Amino acid sequence: MTLAALSLAEGVPQLTLFAVLALALACLGFLGFELRKREGAVGWVLLSGLLALLLVAAAVLRPARVNTRGVSVGAKVVVLVDQSRRLLLPSEGKTRRELALRAADAVSKHFAGARVELRGFGTGELRPLVVADALAHESPAELSDESDLSGALNALAQEPGERPKAIVVVSDGRFTRPGATQDDASLRELAATVGAPIHIVAVTEQAPRDASIRSIRTSGASVAHQALALTIEIGCGGGLACGEVPVTARELRQGVEPFVLASGVAKMTGETATVELSITLERAGARLVEVSIEPPEGDTIPENNRRILSFSVTRDRLRLLHVAGRPTYDVRALRMWLKSDESIDLIAFFILRTDEDNTETNEDSELALIPFPVDELFTEHLPSFDAVILQDIDAVQYKLLRHLPALANYVRGGGGLIMVGGPSAFAGGGYARSPLESVLPVELGGGEPFDTADFVPRYTEAGRSAPVLRGLTELFADELPTFTGSNTLGAARPNAITLWEHPDRRAGRGPMPVLALGESGDGRSIALGVDGTHALAFSEFADRAAGRAYGALWDGLVGWLMRDPRYEALRLELAGPCIAGLPAKLRLVRLPGATGDVSLQLTRLGPQRTPVLTKTVKEPAPGPLELELGALEVGGYSASARVGAAPPTRFDFACERGGPAWSDSRPDPERLSRIAKASAGRAVSAAQVNELPVPDPIEVAAERSHVPLLPAWAWTLAASLALGGHWYARRRQGLL
Amino acid sequence: MAGRLSRRLALTVPLSLLSASSRAFAFGDGAAFHPRLLRAGTRQILGLRTSGAGRWSWELVRRTSAPARLVPSEVAADQSSLQAEPFVIWAGDDDPGPLSAAEVRGLTRFIRLGGVLVVDDSQPDSGAFGRGALRELSRVLPESAPVRLDPSHVIFKTFYIVDRPVGRVLGPPEIRAIVRGKNAQVIFLQHDLLGALARSGERFALATEPGGVEQREHAIRLAVNIAMYVLCSDYKDDQVHAPFLMRRRARQKP
Repeated sequence: MTLAALSLAEGVPQLTLFAVLALALACLGFLGFELRKREGAVGWVLLSGLLALLLVAAAVLRPARVNTRGVSVGAKVVVLVDQSRRLLLPSEGKTRRELALRAADAVSKHFAGARVELRGFGTGELRPLVVADALAHESPAELSDESDLSGALNALAQEPGERPKAIVVVSDGRFTRPGATQDDASLRELAATVGAPIHIVAVTEQAPRDASIRSIRTSGASVAHQALALTIEIGCGGGLACGEVPVTARELRQGVEPFVLASGVAKMTGETATVELSITLERAGARLVEVSIEPPEGDTIPENNRRILSFSVTRDRLRLLHVAGRPTYDVRALRMWLKSDESIDLIAFFILRTDEDNTETNEDSELALIPFPVDELFTEHLPSFDAVILQDIDAVQYKLLRHLPALANYVRGGGGLIMVGGPSAFAGGGYARSPLESVLPVELGGGEPFDTADFVPRYTEAGRSAPVLRGLTELFADELPTFTGSNTLGAARPNAITLWEHPDRRAGRGPMPVLALGESGDGRSIALGVDGTHALAFSEFADRAAGRAYGALWDGLVGWLMRDPRYEALRLELAGPCIAGLPAKLRLVRLPGATGDVSLQLTRLGPQRTPVLTKTVKEPAPGPLELELGALEVGGYSASARVGAAPPTRFDFACERGGPAWSDSRPDPERLSRIAKASAGRAVSAAQVNELPVPDPIEVAAERSHVPLLPAWAWTLAASLALGGHWYARRRQGLL
Repeated sequence: MAGRLSRRLALTVPLSLLSASSRAFAFGDGAAFHPRLLRAGTRQILGLRTSGAGRWSWELVRRTSAPARLVPSEVAADQSSLQAEPFVIWAGDDDPGPLSAAEVRGLTRFIRLGGVLVVDDSQPDSGAFGRGALRELSRVLPESAPVRLDPSHVIFKTFYIVDRPVGRVLGPPEIRAIVRGKNAQVIFLQHDLLGALARSGERFALATEPGGVEQREHAIRLAVNIAMYVLCSDYKDDQVHAPFLMRRRARQKP
């Protein structure tokens, strides 16, 4: 391709051009004014004047010829292929993703003359896409839950370099953004950001026969013991007749069957119905709630019939039940510490009188005593407590025995338990071989229930490194006060950690635990086999730290019991979403100072107790650590990780098959058409790709030459001659 | 009753007798109520009233579930062992004179750790000890002055419902105390409580006047309530007890 054009001499500024033109016009005007009433051969004067003006202008501007040689290249076309996990939904015997990739391939071929760039979009970022590679991986892990076309178009608009002449979007139309309710004006605004028509290729227009949980909304924050409303939208698509759809919300717990929180029925009048369930989560921390529907017959996508939601349940106040078998200085110290903490809602019951005591009263009205509401506390109100502290209370004498199974279930269900020592605690209180023993971190052996000898407990290696005791060790290092007597505790259970041990007494093959922590099901428990921690609050020993050691110890114990992250040696999180069937990773962040081997045990939430995965990493390098969990099935999981000898840290998470991406399986061809229309593009089906208009190629200059029409002296000579002729003509007319 | 009492006594008495001031207690005994007699300032002649502290423990064990050490001990205000336990009784019948700097320091630490001090005037008629103790304690806690405890204060309902304080003498119908935070930490009694509890052999040593036996019973009840206050602090102020106690007080007062 060669093009020729006229131009001015190189280096002549535009201002000069305007000045010459202005001067020429002024001269012409003056000449016309002179000749307005003249008769005779004024035509020669005018003609010679015009010629002189033109030649003078040419002498100044020196016109040149510009020759351009160039090439024609194809227009830039960007093909955006939806990379959301939603496209793994089945369609026409394949997946929508496969249809989309094949359509993208067809688009590339259709625009063979253009420069086609294939990109994938999901959460907004754009990634290069190779169709053959993508087809080879049926369900790649990099697919996203979102389908953000708005974000992708904005990212494209902000890219430097050549703008595309056309954009082709390949999707089913169920975008996260732009939403279904976005108006045409905002769609036009979105299209204007890229400045090119957006053509659409709809991979499918056929909605599957599917009942699904379309969305779950919560109102307000999830706070322990407070009702939380779940607004659940159920959808029925593809002509499936749903009628009434039962909906159930269950909490997934470790070691036990899922606990039914609420249930209801969605009555379908059209394609959707909404049901509101009120649930109350009793335990704080990360809680998994499974919401499921019972779909009608003919449902073709079972994966979106249940969702597993993760709630981070907070506490308004920590609600503790403190039950003591008799008032002592130890009870006093604990009560005063608990009462001093404004964040604790304390319910306390102390046994102040037994049937054997002689109060020297004629009637009970002389006493300020109330009956111990043991049945009410351990049946009706038990779930409302975050933790229970049993301090030196005889389970037999005070009729606790019959409630121990419920108390054990309470712990397995996520409650906290601290058993504080004394003559009537542990085996001395009738807890040996009771259901509660199984949730304590230690076994309760036979023999004498307690020993009366003074002793100073010894820190174990775990005790020295455990964040739960850091407050205490910062005050007194390894030093502890002398305790008077100790309960007889058995060996620590598997997965339990001993923090203090007896220097002389033995339990099994090792030293007897004095302070031990353990997990049971969803809950945690602590065994403290002494009744003298008040010596950390009030004693000559305590005086050295002004009594602060007591608060340091109990802050740690109660904090650990309630899974306060400050008292965990590790922080666990998923490195990306957990999609059933795809490899998942867990990221472990160790606290400074937490060293040693890292071990991980992964258990499925529910009645099964066998771990699905156990791993140990020997002395890993400092810094975050990522552990491969492999491909997990749908469900809730509990990861328990431990670094060195420190107590384990637990992290619950869910794996879903479809997750939010599959919640609405219907394609949205209407939204696709509106986007195309707003940008003056076209919307076609995958079979009509060949109907998409191909943008014109772009001409690109390759060589340019600049040749003056005449040399400058020739223009000057011609202008001089023309001015001379004009002078002669004017003389003849008497105009000088 | 005998069985239960004997069990608790078995826990507390023998070892306490063996060593009243050492730490060789039985399991559970280290946390038991222990009325210690404070030595501070001029030495007070308590005589038979010394046995009142033991009787205080004995009545507590007999009437309540609380364990207590039956043999009292003495502790000096300038000894570090004052900080070993959170309860001490300072009794006397004469002006204790000025406390030494070490005694003031010891008592200050005791109070700041949260200890409870009962100041029991053995001769309320003269009031010399009470006035002297108040004067010296104002050096220990210069920022705190005693206040009258309201009749609804928890100390009047920690175990018994007590309408007014009494001891060997009827005394004023009120208790004054230095309250720090929410806790009454220094309790001033002008009723000779130890006198009402003092024993001489198998009998009470001193007559209670003017109420006789009934007054002594009420004095014992006050002692039990004070012990329960030391052991349970404001437990009976918990909301869960409020409706019961209000009904009972209403029944007692026609």
